[in-house]
Amino acid sequence: MHIPDGFLDAKTAVASGALAATGVGAAVWQAKRTLPARRVPLLGVTAAFIFAAQMLNFPVAGGTSGHLVGGVLAAVLVGPSAALIVLTAVLVVQCFLFADGGVTALGANIFNMGLVNVFVGYAIYRGVRRLVAGRRGLVWGAAFASWCATVLAAVCCAGQVAWSGKVAWRLVFPAMAGVHMLIGIGEGAITALVLLAIARARPELIDRPDDAPQPAATIGGGLLVALGLALFVAPFASAWPDGLEKVAAKLGFEQPAALLGAAPFPDYKLPWLGDSGWVTAAVGALGTLAAFAFAWLLARLLVPNRGTGVCGEPRLVGLGSPINPLATDRRGRPSN
Amino acid sequence: MNANPQTSDHGPQTPDSRPQTASRGRETPFPANLRPQTQDAGRRTQATLDPQLSLEVRNLSYRYPDGRVALRGVSFAINEGECVGLIGPNGAGKSTLLLHLNGILPERISGAPTVYVGGVPVTEQNLPAIRRQVGLLFQDADDQLFCPTVFEDVAFGPQQFGLDPAKVQAALAQVGLAGYEQRSPQHLSRGEKRRVCLAGVLACDPRVLVLDEPTSDLDPRGKRELKALLQQIPATKLIASHDLELVVELCPRSLVLDGGVVVADGATRTLLADAALMLKHGLERPHILQHQHPHFRG
Amino acid sequence: MRHDFLDRYSRLESPVHRWPAGVKLATAFLLVLLLVLTPLATRWFFAMVAAGLCGAALAARIPFSYLGKRLLLVEPFVLGMAVLTLLQPGGRVVFLGIVVKSTLCLLTMVLLASTTPFAELLRVLRRARVPALLVTTLALLYRYLFVLVDETERMNRARHSRTFTGRRWGTWKTLADVIGQLFVRSTERAERIYAAMCARGWK
Repeated sequence: MHIPDGFLDAKTAVASGALAATGVGAAVWQAKRTLPARRVPLLGVTAAFIFAAQMLNFPVAGGTSGHLVGGVLAAVLVGPSAALIVLTAVLVVQCFLFADGGVTALGANIFNMGLVNVFVGYAIYRGVRRLVAGRRGLVWGAAFASWCATVLAAVCCAGQVAWSGKVAWRLVFPAMAGVHMLIGIGEGAITALVLLAIARARPELIDRPDDAPQPAATIGGGLLVALGLALFVAPFASAWPDGLEKVAAKLGFEQPAALLGAAPFPDYKLPWLGDSGWVTAAVGALGTLAAFAFAWLLARLLVPNRGTGVCGEPRLVGLGSPINPLATDRRGRPSN
Repeated sequence: MNANPQTSDHGPQTPDSRPQTASRGRETPFPANLRPQTQDAGRRTQATLDPQLSLEVRNLSYRYPDGRVALRGVSFAINEGECVGLIGPNGAGKSTLLLHLNGILPERISGAPTVYVGGVPVTEQNLPAIRRQVGLLFQDADDQLFCPTVFEDVAFGPQQFGLDPAKVQAALAQVGLAGYEQRSPQHLSRGEKRRVCLAGVLACDPRVLVLDEPTSDLDPRGKRELKALLQQIPATKLIASHDLELVVELCPRSLVLDGGVVVADGATRTLLADAALMLKHGLERPHILQHQHPHFRG
Repeated sequence: MRHDFLDRYSRLESPVHRWPAGVKLATAFLLVLLLVLTPLATRWFFAMVAAGLCGAALAARIPFSYLGKRLLLVEPFVLGMAVLTLLQPGGRVVFLGIVVKSTLCLLTMVLLASTTPFAELLRVLRRARVPALLVTTLALLYRYLFVLVDETERMNRARHSRTFTGRRWGTWKTLADVIGQLFVRSTERAERIYAAMCARGWK
């Protein structure tokens, strides 16, 4: 979902950049106030971890493979503000060292895969966990939250590309949302599996005692996400897309010589999508419900008895004192 | 200072629980601070009768947060310029003990101080000064080499303590890595990484050098190079190691730690030649003491 | 993934390499900005930029095959998204514009990354008053990325040599377990790094 250079115009890049900068700035400011010095290296190592995890191939079908993005994973493991910093670092390194994601699109990428992914995912995760106790809640919450976060991030991405006038909303939205509804299943499954594995080995890493609810962070992040949605998605998701086109024509957006490129709003419609936005809304609702059900199913499969693990699964060997990992050697045995 | 720093009333019950008579009387006990060290061929250690001790541990006990006891009443003292080995089986508490020497453990220092560096107790207020005096080399070089370039990493310590940046070059030269300043740590061999860590520690001019398994992942050449390096450093040294040959060659005196208790403290050759003692504490008599090597005299 | 994948050419000697990192970064930024904002009609500009970048690659002695490989890694997304533009009227122009601009921007960034050691980029960021927490995170990320990748490869290899079923779900579970283990080890490593930093005076 990394947007390369050339897909966004100036206003989109600036707007998403501003949102991203505000979010990251706020996260850093909060970290300076509340993050204990002991956890500072953890951010860097977690960033390396997310990066390394993203490189693993999960076989899907016929040679294709899926990859983890890890926004929700990071949020559950280190908290949402820290996760935003972690994801930002990952995206910056990907942009500068791998040319994965454009420089002008860095703001948009951080907004989508950092802000939206982390905060929406975290909010949903906490919501589900409050309702469902134990490991089942963990799996269910993680899977569903990851799916929602992936899809919403993709929708924002589509909105940004459409707002820039490169690809019409009617094309990019179903493409991005549709594809990511499928990708999200993989992301949900992987996130849930990984969190379950960690919970079995070191449950205190998931349910940290110092895990304060951080209401300010969640509200702030949510606000920024809402702003972005209002800018990038709401104009297109209105029930009167035709009206928007007429406005655009009146205001002269269809000049080919404009800085934005060719006509932003085409007359061509995809055949299977009706004129009204209700079909889109229905598909979206159905997809969400399906994902919710899938997440519940996953939870049932992986945690058949409430709170315990799958029978026969051995607990990972104790890795030394949980709060004093200095006592363990590389192989996890208590040393010296 | 008491010549018998500790007794092992608790911990592994051994008939010979008097720490310094591991030799069962064949050789006189080696009280820590009253005898000069013996010289071995090719080593340049300093023997001082300086009453102010470089490092002193008094009745140190430590319990992990999960309740497990790591150290029980550990006491010993090390003179200026001495090189002392710390040996013992896995799980004995060696690393935990070393982490106490510069205040990393316990997480919060309270109560009576148990560790003294150059007469200065290790307390919360003294931590910066203590950490400058005690240079700790960690077991895994990757944990300690955390900066993007060699230069930045070696300069980290001097920067934090406000020391002269020229020390960085000097330290790199001392470990034989002059010219490596702009190298990236991931491209270095294990031996080179280990030496960069050592340079980073030496750049702060520590009084005491504490090494945790310095040769654990080195090949024979790396070991030789490190050994030669360490022999040239005049600071007080405490080396925890499974490499008993290294301990024999570098450290005239050794402490044996088992189950969180110092069970023996004396001349290295005497302790390590005592096969029964070694086996009792999960060690063994090193090869170097079993035969007379042609290139090894004494 | 080999350790030198990213850094293979960043320490060569050439006029381009010798440029100060800050200047290179600013130039790259400016170039990308210009590329994105210039309308496609000004063909001479794009041709000039392309020629200039190729010249820079030659001067920096970066082999074209390496550049090609790096570009190939990222092109699929560009093409995938861009193909959508073909479905709209007048889309061919947009498509061409996107492909040309994206590719040239990619080339610029790949050249920048190949001629500038990451440590220098970090120094530039520090001087530009980027928050210290972010720079530290970037530095540690870069430093420990390969350490973790190596660990992952080792764990993966160990698991594979004990896995005989080959079922996809089994592979997913295995990979997830490996990632989980990796995180646990990473937290322990982070604690040890913190101890090492404190031992050298960090507060």
